[in-house]
Amino acid sequence: MTPITTELKVSAFLAYKFIVKGNRGTSALTILIMALAFVNLMFTTSVFDGMGDATEKQVIDTLYSNIVIEPKDDEVYIKNPDAVVKKIINVPGVIGTSAQYVTGATIAYEEKSGAWSIRAVDPDDEQTVSLVPDMMITGEYLSKYDRGEIIIGKEIAGGQGGSLEHISLGGVVVGDTVEVTFTNGVKREYRVKGIFDTNFIQSNQMAYITKKEIESVLGIHDMASQILVKTDTKGEEDRFLNQFVELGVHEDIKPWTVYAGIVATLTQSFNVLNTLTGAIGFFVAGVTIFIVIYVSTVSKRRQMGILRAIGIKESIIIRSYVFQAVFFAVCGCIAGLAIMFVILVPYFTKHPMVFPMGDVTLLIEQKAAIMRSAGLIISAAIAGLLPSWRAARETILDAIWGD
Amino acid sequence: MKQNKQDTIIATRNISRAYTMGNMQVTALNHVTINIRRGEFAAIMGKSGSGKSTLLHQLGLLDTPTEGEIIIDGAEISGLSESEQTIFRLKKFGYVFQEYAILPELTALENVYLPAMALGLSQDECVTKGMDALEKVGLAERSDHRPREMSGGEQQRVAIARALINKPKILFADEPTANLDSISSKQILELFRALNQDTGQTILMVTHELEDADLVDRVIWLADGKVMEREE
Repeated sequence: MTPITTELKVSAFLAYKFIVKGNRGTSALTILIMALAFVNLMFTTSVFDGMGDATEKQVIDTLYSNIVIEPKDDEVYIKNPDAVVKKIINVPGVIGTSAQYVTGATIAYEEKSGAWSIRAVDPDDEQTVSLVPDMMITGEYLSKYDRGEIIIGKEIAGGQGGSLEHISLGGVVVGDTVEVTFTNGVKREYRVKGIFDTNFIQSNQMAYITKKEIESVLGIHDMASQILVKTDTKGEEDRFLNQFVELGVHEDIKPWTVYAGIVATLTQSFNVLNTLTGAIGFFVAGVTIFIVIYVSTVSKRRQMGILRAIGIKESIIIRSYVFQAVFFAVCGCIAGLAIMFVILVPYFTKHPMVFPMGDVTLLIEQKAAIMRSAGLIISAAIAGLLPSWRAARETILDAIWGD
Repeated sequence: MKQNKQDTIIATRNISRAYTMGNMQVTALNHVTINIRRGEFAAIMGKSGSGKSTLLHQLGLLDTPTEGEIIIDGAEISGLSESEQTIFRLKKFGYVFQEYAILPELTALENVYLPAMALGLSQDECVTKGMDALEKVGLAERSDHRPREMSGGEQQRVAIARALINKPKILFADEPTANLDSISSKQILELFRALNQDTGQTILMVTHELEDADLVDRVIWLADGKVMEREE
């Protein structure tokens, strides 16, 4: 056996014996504190990750799908959108497209009115890229040949317990007629066919009419403000972008992330908060381990002196305490993960937190769990090293017979 | 199998140990020169404060003299680094302290084989040697017991077995019977005597019990940090 292997073996042996044959109550309490420190580290991160994930899902499912094809900078509309769709629809992984018009409009009902965004879609196509058709809380979604009908989000309708009640139409219900004034000055009356609720404040401020309807308003045909493309995976948008360009799509192609400014802002803010809470969490965990190991080294001061006197190297003794600290931290991480997965995640799945971006559950990212576990273990190792190093530096005589 | 007693295993030349206590300089050892022969069972005796434990600590590499030199088994040890001293202690020395200095978390056998483990022996070798050492001190059947399940005398015998595990050149014992009843004390001293006579183990023991002088080959008397015995 090499000297270092021997040292590691003796350190591990001593650490094992100190843990197994030492005070079990102290060990259990230390592990519990480590577990709570880990939960503390993971909980806020999981909430933030859950909020980010919920927002991303909402942006993709109810606003922009995965990829958005827009007109080139100097043009207002994509001409002949069907030709563009034809180029990309057979790309493996593309599972839906929806060419649509987007316009601003003033919607008025009785005394109330407001400016909102209206999308004019082919309802059949829209079902392949958006979950809005599945989120009707009253009435029905549009049909392909609907004319004179509109569906609106609950923040426009009002009276549905939305967050923007004060700027809504104050309680429009299915069957009511609203007056829509388009940006080109054309005014039309529409019967409200349905009201939807996506749980996302941004998409709940949208209204939908059919493409046929808007083309009659704008006096144009066979054009689109944007084409939404749904893919079967998230995160591989750049690969699709390149493929679309290779297939001859010359329009402006953007991934959903470009439109998800809210996610980027949230992520930045969360990262700051995460770093702050993480640093405090690591510090608290480190101090806890420090105190536990410090108390242990103080109570075993004489024992450490005797071990050194009989020829056990300082490094073996110090490492035995570091191993104990790491053991407590590893057990704390495992216990913390168990608390997260067995208690907290199921609880928040059943009782999600309500945020403007929708219902938020805890999201435990593997990377975050690994990073925080590693951070906690490193903190514990350092916190175990300091007091044991200090104690082992004492002279043997002071350690055995000192005050 | 008594060995040649003429061979010197410990030699000191004018070692002194002074401590600074506040503004005062206290000399615990004052130019001590002694020789201990291989296979000798020697006792260091003297009144409380005479410097007997301090001398043992210098010879056992638990402390460093402020002046003078110590030669152990032919090697001048004052130039050894701290880690070299640790290895030296592990390989060449065995210690028995006044208190039963064994680890409460370990069984008797584990306590005994710990120094052998630190020397890099395999688990099987450790157990075999540990059991042999426990056999020597008459505690083989108590090998799985933890210190709290043993009497003071038994714990001290475990400490002796631990001191013997690496076949030390010198066994240092610092008042090994001070905390024991008279029966246990007698057992420990007889054990030392037997080890010395049967295996030629060099033993240097600090004691304040006058009757212990009858059991040892030689007594080194200390008073006020000086040797009273005339070295041959």
